Amino acid sequence: MKKKKVISAVLAVSMLSAAILPGCGSGEDSGVTEIEILQYKPEAATYFDQVEDEFNATHDDIHLTISSPNDASTIMRTRFIREDYPDIIGIGGDINYSYYVDAGILADVSDYEGLADINQSYIDILENLEIVPTDGTFGVPYVANAAGILYNRDMFEEHGWEIPETWNELIDLCEDIQAEGILPFYFGFRDTWTCLAPWNALAVGLAPEDTCRNVNAGETTFTDEYRETAEKCLELVSYGPDDPFAYGYNDACTAFANGESAMYPIGSYAVPQILSVNPEMNIDSFVMPGNEDPSENTLNSGVDLMFAVTEACENKDAALEVIDFLLEDENIQAYIDDQNAIPCKTGDFQLASELDGMTSFIEAGNMTDYQDHYYPSEMAADALIQTFLINEDVDEFLSDFDTRWQRYNRDIIREVQEYNEEHGTAE
Amino acid sequence: MYEKMKARVNWPITILLFVGLLTIAFPLYMAIVIAFKQPSEMTTSISGILSLPETWSLSNFAQAMEVTDFWRSLGNSLLVTVSTVVLCIILHSLMGFAVGRNKGHSKIYNVIYLFIVSGMFVPFAILMMPLAKQTAEMHLANWAGVILLYVVFYMPMNLLLYTGYLVNIPIALEEAARVDGASTWRTFWKIIFPIMKPMHATVAVITALAVWNDVMTPLVIMAGSGQNTLPLAQLTFQTQFGTNYNLAFASYLLALIPIVIFYIICQKQIINGVVNGAVK
Amino acid sequence: MKKGNSSKRTYMLITIPILALFVCFNTVPLIRGVIYSFTNFKGFGDYDWVGFRNYMDLFTDPRIGNSYLFTIKLAIVATIVTNVISLILALGLNSRIKGKTFLRAAYFVPNVLGALVVGYIFQYIFTYILPELGKMIGSETLSTSMLSSTSLAWIAIVVVCAWQNIAMNTIIYISGLQTVPEDVYEAGDLDGATGWKKFRYLTFPLIIPFFTINMVLCVKNFLMVFDQIMAMTQGGPAQSTESISYLIYNNGMKGGSFGYQSANAVVFFIVIVVISVAQMSISSKKEEQL
Repeated sequence: MKKKKVISAVLAVSMLSAAILPGCGSGEDSGVTEIEILQYKPEAATYFDQVEDEFNATHDDIHLTISSPNDASTIMRTRFIREDYPDIIGIGGDINYSYYVDAGILADVSDYEGLADINQSYIDILENLEIVPTDGTFGVPYVANAAGILYNRDMFEEHGWEIPETWNELIDLCEDIQAEGILPFYFGFRDTWTCLAPWNALAVGLAPEDTCRNVNAGETTFTDEYRETAEKCLELVSYGPDDPFAYGYNDACTAFANGESAMYPIGSYAVPQILSVNPEMNIDSFVMPGNEDPSENTLNSGVDLMFAVTEACENKDAALEVIDFLLEDENIQAYIDDQNAIPCKTGDFQLASELDGMTSFIEAGNMTDYQDHYYPSEMAADALIQTFLINEDVDEFLSDFDTRWQRYNRDIIREVQEYNEEHGTAE
Repeated sequence: MYEKMKARVNWPITILLFVGLLTIAFPLYMAIVIAFKQPSEMTTSISGILSLPETWSLSNFAQAMEVTDFWRSLGNSLLVTVSTVVLCIILHSLMGFAVGRNKGHSKIYNVIYLFIVSGMFVPFAILMMPLAKQTAEMHLANWAGVILLYVVFYMPMNLLLYTGYLVNIPIALEEAARVDGASTWRTFWKIIFPIMKPMHATVAVITALAVWNDVMTPLVIMAGSGQNTLPLAQLTFQTQFGTNYNLAFASYLLALIPIVIFYIICQKQIINGVVNGAVK
Repeated sequence: MKKGNSSKRTYMLITIPILALFVCFNTVPLIRGVIYSFTNFKGFGDYDWVGFRNYMDLFTDPRIGNSYLFTIKLAIVATIVTNVISLILALGLNSRIKGKTFLRAAYFVPNVLGALVVGYIFQYIFTYILPELGKMIGSETLSTSMLSSTSLAWIAIVVVCAWQNIAMNTIIYISGLQTVPEDVYEAGDLDGATGWKKFRYLTFPLIIPFFTINMVLCVKNFLMVFDQIMAMTQGGPAQSTESISYLIYNNGMKGGSFGYQSANAVVFFIVIVVISVAQMSISSKKEEQL
């Protein structure tokens, strides 16, 4: 009947188009090397689109594609499981990097000349992230970020508040601010990951840098190392809004941008979001003063984006040529202007004014990697910290942290301890 | 008597239903207001949240269309949704017919029925990674693969619906056709398939909505192919370090239009669908 | 005789290819998933066989236990709320009212929106608007955001789940009510049956298949709740709203414990099947009784 014909026609068309569509757009073979970068920061997509265009306009033998997808972690995982590796991946210096090095996905680039221009402290950070010491360098650090406390510069000038350098000064400052009827801090703890911002900033100053590695080696526990961090974190939160768990990251950025609080303990990456709400705002930042002795304070800074060539990449020289291009000074400058980041390359770069208060630490190289870069994401340390900030039970939190660490890191711990037995303990 | 009953309007229920609509209208009002506001108008106070935007500018919509490459994403979404719905209606109603007519007296068909229906309860999370690998091995990491997967994913649910509906269709109809010399295949297309129309509409609506709004399947299967459906393109607005709710909501409203039109078309079918006609 | 055979063959020719498709893209990956559940696979790189370690761990992991408790609690409450409201709504929308077409379309709108979008809208309402209302009516519990309270956040999730799912359930109930022949009512009217009695003894028995579908779908959908959690709480506050699907996705797919979460998914699958089969057999018994 007529109806049946219509249906079969629609069916035929839809099946046909489904079959044909994947056919179009497949690459042509013309002696040009294809290089694909998959990078995990969608917020920098505009920058990378521009770099891609510039690169392709100036290079005839290499065609570069940079994708900046929105759910990059899922996409990377599914592509790895498909064994469909991009030539270069742009990832952060966190535990995923540790996993990828351990799984042999990344190629050794220690012979790459461009590494000479990279600030050694960032290469060391990557070195430390390796689960067991592995020969070689597997990533080229590109930019770093820093976490501390952002503050409303105009508000501080208006009231004559000073930048605190010790924990007591910080607490006194909070009291002063509160006395003026202003909220010292804003928090967006509904988004659990934001709980890690004050946590990391405090932990770098209060716990040894190699805490996580020592726990994996069986030499210490978090209960021993994190108590002070936990207690001080709790104290900070008491200067926040009544119900910090009601608000998300965006709400907190909006509130801070609108002058509802004087300070906001978060990373430098928040600045573009805050400025999108209030472009006129005058923001600066300072290092979290966790200690009584100012000299013990250190800037919480880690590798925010690095480029790593995959083992599966067929033309590694071309890949390194692309990285060369990315590392050109004006490209890095464009990136840090766009994203309020800190370059990992040595040289004369213009840092954003929002980082003024941190510049002395950056120049002195007084920087320590985020503790959470060692936390496996499935352990949900952020949620654990959120739970702790709600329940306010330090002992329970610390013992939970240890238990959970042991559970989720079992394979890593075994690997580390086997390695140590074989090679004798590192120290 | 029947005529008189039909004419009588039940006013209390009508009024109650209109009042109840507020629960739906209010969240939608929020979405529309947010879609028209500028990020700088977003405040955390209640009056600021409820207030109307300062200007009714379409700039958010224009920008959202640009960011999501709207027309291409829309085309992709339409392609996937339409193909899936058509395939689902044809394949699943056939399957519903074959299984539904036999599961009563055949153990094998009953097992097949339970086997497929229980597929409804397989969490997508467990299939995700194996499917990503499998579709790549079969060169199906593309639209065709996604459409095929949808046909499989919604098969349990649709089979349940079709077999459930088939119970209401008297077998006498088929027997009569068979006496007239029609084959089973012909009987299905001539008699059963048209009678199932209300269920086709239901299946079409359920499947279309699920496919239209789905993010995970295309994300996992075609990751990195650069071909976006609307929901995939809309993920742009959800980066961890910043969400532009204004653009996002503008884009959500835009994505809503085609599916609302589709629903309005299908609604008639669902509501007109009556088995009574066939019984009488 | 010949006729019977040829129709048998037709049925088989229909069934076999479609079944094959199903097995290929559902059963085979499921089996692969089950295999991964016996490994410490991270999702990439090498992996070892760990036997039943993942399964043993599941039973000692308080986080898993809590996620099951939360998810089941949510599913039960949301299913009841959704079905009661949508049945009432369906009866209303099926009665003799003005503006029927408009009302039916309007009540369906929530279902048209993606679950993520709905989640974002309600997040606004729960964060800003409801607390203000709470203050206005002087309610202590409502004056702070429900989403930040470990004891109330799950209710907010129930509300959102119900708000969205009522639409589809109502449609299914309406199409069920359409199958109730008009003469049943006429017969009922002659017997003087009215209101509740009419519904209980005349209408309801006839729409039991639709009731079953709705119950099973609701329970299943709510057990697999994911988008709403993703949009509204991300498992917080204090991990009080970590649903099973959320945990599997977050830890297995984004995190590095794919093997472990595969084991979780296998157990989850069994739990859902058991619950649903129980539901279906109970209501099919009911159906026979009536």
